[in-house]
Amino acid sequence: MAENNISSSLEDYLEAIAEITADNGHAHTKDIAERLKVKMPSVTNALRQLAGRGLIHYESHAPVVLTPAGEARAAAVQQRHTTLQNFFRDVLKVDEQSASDCACKIEHVIGEEVRQRVAVLARAIAERPDCAELRRYLEETMPGIHASQENLLCTLDQLQPGQRGLVTRVDEKLPGARRLTVMGLIKNAEVEMEGRAPFGDLLRLKLLGSSITLRAGDAEHVLVKPV
Amino acid sequence: MKRTFRIALAGNPNAGKTTIFNHLTGAHQHVGNYPGVTVERKSGHCRLGELELEIIDLPGIYSLTSATAEERIAAEELQSGEIDLILDIVDSANLQRHLYLTTQLAELQLPLLLVFNMADDARKLGFKFNYDQLERFFGAPIVKTIGAQGIGIDRLKLTVSKMLRGELVLPPARFTYGVEADRMIQDLAEQLHTALPTLPITPRYYAIKLLEHDREIVARPEFAPLLPAAEEFRRQLTERLGVDMETFLADQRYGIISGACREAVKRTLNQRIQISDRLDSVLTSRYFGLPIFLMIMFLVFLFTFQCADPFIGLIEQLFESLANAIRAHWPESAAPIFRSLLVDGIIGGVGSVLVFLPNILFLFLAIAFLEGTGYMSRAAYVMDGVMHKFGLHGKSFIPMLLGFGCSVPAVMATRTIESERDRLTTIMVIPLMSCSARLPIYALIIPAFFVEKYQALVMWIIYLIGVVLALVLARLLKSTLFKGGDEVFVMELPPYRLPTFKSLCIHMWERTAMYLHKAGTLILAASIILFLISTYPIKTELATDYAGETQRIEQSTLAPEAKAEQLATLEAAQKAELLEYSVAGRIGRGLEVVLRPIGFDWRVSSALIGAFAAKELFVSQLGILYSVGDADEESMPLRTALRENYTPLQGFCIMLFCLVTMPCLATVAVVRRETNSWKLTLLQALGLLVLAWLCAFVVYQLGSFLQLGTQLLGA
Repeated sequence: MAENNISSSLEDYLEAIAEITADNGHAHTKDIAERLKVKMPSVTNALRQLAGRGLIHYESHAPVVLTPAGEARAAAVQQRHTTLQNFFRDVLKVDEQSASDCACKIEHVIGEEVRQRVAVLARAIAERPDCAELRRYLEETMPGIHASQENLLCTLDQLQPGQRGLVTRVDEKLPGARRLTVMGLIKNAEVEMEGRAPFGDLLRLKLLGSSITLRAGDAEHVLVKPV
Repeated sequence: MKRTFRIALAGNPNAGKTTIFNHLTGAHQHVGNYPGVTVERKSGHCRLGELELEIIDLPGIYSLTSATAEERIAAEELQSGEIDLILDIVDSANLQRHLYLTTQLAELQLPLLLVFNMADDARKLGFKFNYDQLERFFGAPIVKTIGAQGIGIDRLKLTVSKMLRGELVLPPARFTYGVEADRMIQDLAEQLHTALPTLPITPRYYAIKLLEHDREIVARPEFAPLLPAAEEFRRQLTERLGVDMETFLADQRYGIISGACREAVKRTLNQRIQISDRLDSVLTSRYFGLPIFLMIMFLVFLFTFQCADPFIGLIEQLFESLANAIRAHWPESAAPIFRSLLVDGIIGGVGSVLVFLPNILFLFLAIAFLEGTGYMSRAAYVMDGVMHKFGLHGKSFIPMLLGFGCSVPAVMATRTIESERDRLTTIMVIPLMSCSARLPIYALIIPAFFVEKYQALVMWIIYLIGVVLALVLARLLKSTLFKGGDEVFVMELPPYRLPTFKSLCIHMWERTAMYLHKAGTLILAASIILFLISTYPIKTELATDYAGETQRIEQSTLAPEAKAEQLATLEAAQKAELLEYSVAGRIGRGLEVVLRPIGFDWRVSSALIGAFAAKELFVSQLGILYSVGDADEESMPLRTALRENYTPLQGFCIMLFCLVTMPCLATVAVVRRETNSWKLTLLQALGLLVLAWLCAFVVYQLGSFLQLGTQLLGA
């Protein structure tokens, strides 16, 4: 059967239809709209396209039914989702929800060959006796790895209270940037975010030993490297 | 050497410049103008041995290159070529930022003296300075001082003497801005020297300014031929290094400073969290900041009104005794007009102003305290969010607070607001902050019409209406007339300090003096004029034969009390007739047409004329019109007269009108000066007048329609 390329969004629709049908026996456009959190017109549009590709039977006022081709396609997508989700959950020790979210995105672009190899890898790690140490290692290290701010630049207004940073650049295009420079906000200056004002527009920073205040809007024009 | 040397005092805001200025010039020498905040050019005199010094306190600035008005003024003064010595005051506990200005001052290559102020704080923080090295580095002798306590001042004076006499000369600083930039500066300087050999300051300074594209320098015609070369250098540098010249030079300066500090400044203690930080974590906290602030404001007002009360009573008594003494010793027959002028006009008028002096003194004292401790910048920080929503600035807050005392220093205080648009908006709404001059009006009317338990409430309502109107108007102005993007707002939060009592008094006095000046001149003049227009022209042919009637009553067989009463009534009627005939009366009658829809009769209208000159005069004028001699707001007879003639609704409308209407003459004058625009000044005056009329109209008509307040509340 020809693998005609359909968009990720349409694949999501197929998946949704398959799931709803498995739960309720049939899928109404309303259910699809609810599950995917989209508006009715978008659903109608997508269904028309899917019908055009022969993946569903679509008549107005009748529940949507997958064609055999549609069923096969939906199954394939679900399988990709499952493989990936399991990999993220079991090998990378990512929590269920994040694993599922991430899988939802990647499932549309991963090819069948890659998916199969991922599945084999995951099974090998889970079952082979010579992977016991690896299993232990993953169990120990994975959960402790979080997204760190290290080496990630951010703008001055994104610093958290108590966080320190090194100024990388002050946007020269900002009218009045001169005033910031004069106060000591120059490249490599060390700043410490101290707090925000009530109603949050002003920031309080420590710079060159004393506190200065700055508008959040202006702080957006200063790039810092958190330390 | 018998000539006057000129010394400029420069430094960042919060470096303690003004305190040192006061120490050097003895008393607080202000030349002329309203001081407000340190933006005006202040100068004073000092004598050191046989040397005569003129000392100029420059505005507090962070740099000589930015484009704010203060920085322009300072640069102009320093570039004039007439400065013999620069005293650079730095906060030695916060050196790095303060030295930024120093690097620029050093480039002027004028004799420079560094004053390391706040030496006690520096020591507490564990700083140790290698003064020799620093002196050599910056080419300037260094003197340690603790300005707040007057320590080090003698040493300072001695060093200044020596320098002026040529006994202490250090080789000038030699800063390097990197090989490229140095070459460019050198090149430009040489070109400048050839083209303009008679520049008042070393060509090197101008070379740097040209490279920085300093707005003022670049605009001067004599530098025009050098602009292309400067432009070329700027372009080259940006191309090579990828930053523009200003940023590059700023970087270099801070590099120079950190280099110097690394060598010559050691920190023995490493106390990261200071007391100021701890205080700030509470006072500027996102959640507690505002409530704490509101509480502090409440305390300020409490302090102002409660503590001032006994003094107000004292002053009232003083004026009363004065008036009585004059009445007793000046026979009624001798020049009766002048007698009346003195007692009713002048003492009555000026007295009613000075009675509120204690309120003003205490308010300004409280504000001076908050400013001195450094809390005011925190207040601006905390309030900024709220003020911003109404189109105002965090820094608008202090002027508006001052407005509760007197609009004149309040308008002056808006100079701290750098954004012109925000500044103008603030100036336009300041008169709506119910100033102390309106207090006599409220104090007269409220007890006349409202029972005791509602009195405080009504007062609060009036104040609140003022504030609400101000905020609404500000929002309106900001979205229409003064629409525009906000400019970069950076403000330093200086470390908390305990101000000395002396400095508090000086600051309190500065603003109070403005108020008194207004009282002494405008109000005095206005009182006299008002008296005259209420007296002249004198009606000679009276409707009733008062003399005859008086005789008849006196000769009648009535009891003495009854006689006295009838005589009093007759006298009142006579005065009333004379008044209607006078200029004031006629103007009142004329205005009545326009003011009747808001419930005012000719007397109130006439009294409002007085209010234009100074709000306080409304009461005394009303007193004159009701023939109650030397009336003030405590005057029972006047209150009774009001009660008999007006309803509470009218009373409220009178207060509302007085709250909103155009500001007094003194304020108008100051607004004209500060905005530099007749258009805006007139817009404010007329706009507020119309707004006042509209507000009173709505309230009066609605109230009459709903039958509210047409009877005495609770009576």
